[in-house]
Amino acid sequence: MIELKNVERSYKNGHTETWVLRRISLTVKEGEFVTVMGPSGAGKSSLLNVLALLDDGWLGEYWFGETPVHTLNRRQRADLARQRIGMVFQSYHLLDDLTVAENIDLPLSYKNLPAKVRQGMVADILDRFQIVAKKDLFPSQLSGGQQQLVGIARAVVHAPALLLADEPTGNLHSTQAREIMELFCELNRQGTTIIQVTHSEENAHYSKRIVELHDGWLTRDEPVAERTTEVGAK
Amino acid sequence: MNKLLFDIRLALRRLRKSPGFALIVVVTLAFGIGANTAIFTLVQAILLRTLPVAAPSQLYRVGDNNQCCVDGGYPEDASKTGDFSIFSFDLFQHLKQSAPEFEQLAAMQAGIWDWTVRRGSELAKSLHGEFVSGNYFSTLGVGAYEGRLFAESDDTPSAAPALVLSYQGWQGEYAGDPAIVGSTIYVQSKPFTVIGIAPRGFFGDRVTDTPPDFWVPIQTEPYVEAGQSILHNAESHWLYLLGRVKPGTNIAELQAKLTVSLRQWLWSRPNMVANGGSALIPRQHVVLTPAGGGIQILQNDTGKGLTLLMILSTVVLLIACANIANLMLARATTRRGEIALRAALGAARPRILREIFLESAVLASIGGLVGLAVAYGGSHLILALAFPDAQFMPISANPSPAVLAFAFIVSLVTAILFGAAPAWLSFHAQPAEALRGVGRGTHDRSSLPQKSLVVFQAALSVVLLAGAMLLTKSLANLENQNYGVVTTNRYVLRFDEQGAGYTLDRLPVLYREIQDRFNALPGIASASLAEYSPLQGENWSECVIQQGHAAPRQGEDCNSTWNRVDPQFLNSIGVPILRGRGFTDQDTNATPQVAIVNQAFVKKFFPNQDPIGQHFGIDRPKYSGSFEIVGVFRDFMMNLQYSRGQVHPVFLRPMVQQFMGFTEPDLVRMETRSMFANAMILDFQTPPPNVDALVRDTLAGIDPNLTVQSLRAFQAQLAGNFDQERLVARLTGLFGLLALILASVGLYGVMSYFVAQRRAEVGVRMALGATRASVVSMVMRGAFGQILIGIALGVPAALVAGHYMSSQLFEVHGYDPFSLACAVAVLAVCAAIAGFIPARRAASIDPMKALRIE
Repeated sequence: MIELKNVERSYKNGHTETWVLRRISLTVKEGEFVTVMGPSGAGKSSLLNVLALLDDGWLGEYWFGETPVHTLNRRQRADLARQRIGMVFQSYHLLDDLTVAENIDLPLSYKNLPAKVRQGMVADILDRFQIVAKKDLFPSQLSGGQQQLVGIARAVVHAPALLLADEPTGNLHSTQAREIMELFCELNRQGTTIIQVTHSEENAHYSKRIVELHDGWLTRDEPVAERTTEVGAK
Repeated sequence: MNKLLFDIRLALRRLRKSPGFALIVVVTLAFGIGANTAIFTLVQAILLRTLPVAAPSQLYRVGDNNQCCVDGGYPEDASKTGDFSIFSFDLFQHLKQSAPEFEQLAAMQAGIWDWTVRRGSELAKSLHGEFVSGNYFSTLGVGAYEGRLFAESDDTPSAAPALVLSYQGWQGEYAGDPAIVGSTIYVQSKPFTVIGIAPRGFFGDRVTDTPPDFWVPIQTEPYVEAGQSILHNAESHWLYLLGRVKPGTNIAELQAKLTVSLRQWLWSRPNMVANGGSALIPRQHVVLTPAGGGIQILQNDTGKGLTLLMILSTVVLLIACANIANLMLARATTRRGEIALRAALGAARPRILREIFLESAVLASIGGLVGLAVAYGGSHLILALAFPDAQFMPISANPSPAVLAFAFIVSLVTAILFGAAPAWLSFHAQPAEALRGVGRGTHDRSSLPQKSLVVFQAALSVVLLAGAMLLTKSLANLENQNYGVVTTNRYVLRFDEQGAGYTLDRLPVLYREIQDRFNALPGIASASLAEYSPLQGENWSECVIQQGHAAPRQGEDCNSTWNRVDPQFLNSIGVPILRGRGFTDQDTNATPQVAIVNQAFVKKFFPNQDPIGQHFGIDRPKYSGSFEIVGVFRDFMMNLQYSRGQVHPVFLRPMVQQFMGFTEPDLVRMETRSMFANAMILDFQTPPPNVDALVRDTLAGIDPNLTVQSLRAFQAQLAGNFDQERLVARLTGLFGLLALILASVGLYGVMSYFVAQRRAEVGVRMALGATRASVVSMVMRGAFGQILIGIALGVPAALVAGHYMSSQLFEVHGYDPFSLACAVAVLAVCAAIAGFIPARRAASIDPMKALRIE
């Protein structure tokens, strides 16, 4: 589904150039659940931004299915991202002035979908995430876990092929984090390809594969051992 | 003290770090305060000032209107409303004797005239002179700068002709020559002895752009005017009265007493009783008005305009205040984290407040100082615009202590207001929350007051813009109305042959020479003589009586404007003869008395009749067959003062044809005086580049004592009729533009702030699939939401303002939809630009960066 070939990314700072991604080659198959790990500054978020098509300043090849992303212009990349990718953020990024339902509707509102269709899709996702009762509440009226639940609902409401999550449980306590990771597993089982960035070894073990970055280099790429009941029960 | 200095230094350093913010605040304040201070300077100098005389509060004028300059019988206002404000010399003396409540009652000429003045062998010059009574200076309580001023003894029939120069006239016209006192000066070719110089700063009895260069006693009028004197014509009213009342005088009682005295005098005058005059007498009255500010001619002319400008400049200041409050709110919000950090580090609230208010005070002080500079330049500019022909204005455009205090108070108030916003926010900031970055969310509490301020600004801008549009349209209507004359390539020369000593018998030769010389100028099409030129602001008006008709009743509208012209006159102003003939060189004293009339004259006096061959006369039935109508010319406007938008009846008589049949002294006098041409219209095919020098040299070549009273393009003469309207329209337009800029900057500021605050939100939206267009649209919707509410509030307010302005509008309704639509459209376009820039910036936000910052 995703193939990166020799992707590189650097930032210029005055006369110096800092490389955050070095010759990254990575293949992610459809239905995979991949965790990107590494210490701070390793390039995890940079990689996620490249994958999310939010960043255009990289070099190399990026294939999204049959689509050569590296040949697309900004507008085409934005269209592709709008149709195929969902994003979950560490700090949720819900809009304070919108209700839960309106927040979830937001990505749909950027597609040319009839209002009725959008309403149906929002209702479905509210039901699926069991947050119907909270649809008229504002983000400030929700707990952190609930806010992230809404953030995920918003990310998957348009049924993206790829779900990208940047430290999705970074602001949550452990119980809420487990619930969110279980939800990711469920989405993955239903066919959504997921790539998450995390520091947490525990969260990483919910995925099927871990790739690790160090100073921009891909230093590890291996499957996750079968989770034990003990880990799952934590 | 050290702390204070440190805080001021800190404030200055902080402002240096935000030069854009500081510049916008200072410029906004400077324009707001500057516009107000400039207008207030003029209001104070014109409307609120008192004459530089002793105890001005004791001065009262007998009368309250500005009727000018010589009126026979019942003055126009007196015949209409009974309001008597202009008096004959005889009536002045009668009232003076009957009112001992006045310590002194002085008389002064209603109109200040241009006279030809010559000293020794110097070339004659045209100066402003005024007849005043002998007690004029003692009534006002001013002493001489040099020599002495008039005493009652100077104003007697037998007194030696004496003259007092104004300080300005002495300095400007005679270079401050100390030997002038005691010397002889020729006024209208009559010798006068200069007995003294009025004190410096004294400019007479009224604020005017033509203050007198000299004063002469009233009783020298027959000496100056020779056979055309009106001094002893009891029914010729030409004087204003101004007196100093004794302390404790009951003004209402004095007014009633003077009214009774006026009516007694009217009953004693057979001419004032005849022809229905007796019916007018019970209505006649005088009004005593405080005259500490002098005769209120300029005040009445400019008062409404200045009041309107004062209101409009206050609106500009309000908009400026709203703008700065907005900027300060935005700045306070962005500084919330810093303030929280200071609080967390132990800064007490009073200290933080002091810092905030000091920053505001520093800004307001700088803005106030720059505002004063704007005011200084602005008031000079406004004066120049208001009185473009003034050689000397007794109005100081320099800010007085009162004006400085006004600017200081405005600056102080704005500083307090601006400081209050960040202070309020700092009081409500929770340090812990601010440090955690809660304030950087997508919700912002301060946005409501900011948006409200933009709405307020937009509403006021609509009012100002609509007002500016109304006044501009009104001015355009005034300037572009059909005057019936052609002004292109025409110049108007005004001169004074009477002042140069010419007598009636010498006029035909002089006129022939003038015509010959001027018609020989290069590029000239025609040069014509007239007593008055069209639209110069002066004309004769007489009661017309058709042949065989009875005398009109007192108060009946029988007036027609009239003028003496030569045969080329109509041609030189582009007015065609419609019926009959124009004048020819054969219309002289040897041929029958003829007149040509305009269409309005025919309509008024000979409706449904063939006017050619009809006869009419003036003032008395016995003269009703004096003039035969030989031609009808197309309507044109002779004077705009009394006939805005409508053409008055006009009859013209030949320049050199004198009617010898009048027997009454006043009519003989008028007939004689009217023989003197005061104006010349020069119609050039192509005006030569040196018209001014050419014309002056040509006139001086005929006689060096023929002084040029004025020379200007006909178009400029026409435009001069609307100086006040143009000033008000231009300033209102300027204020409207200022308001528009301020409102646009305000909207831009708020939307920029909105975008900066919502950077993360925009990033999220874009990460979720929002297109650039949808982000632009989101920001623009926010901008237009505020502007639309502003327009919704501004339109009714503009309608109300239009209603109150309607008295100052010409052929445009206070509810003019076009002006309103233009105001709304201009505001909408500016709002679109002001909103689009931050919207575009929002659409350029890199979601990756925005989210990383978050």
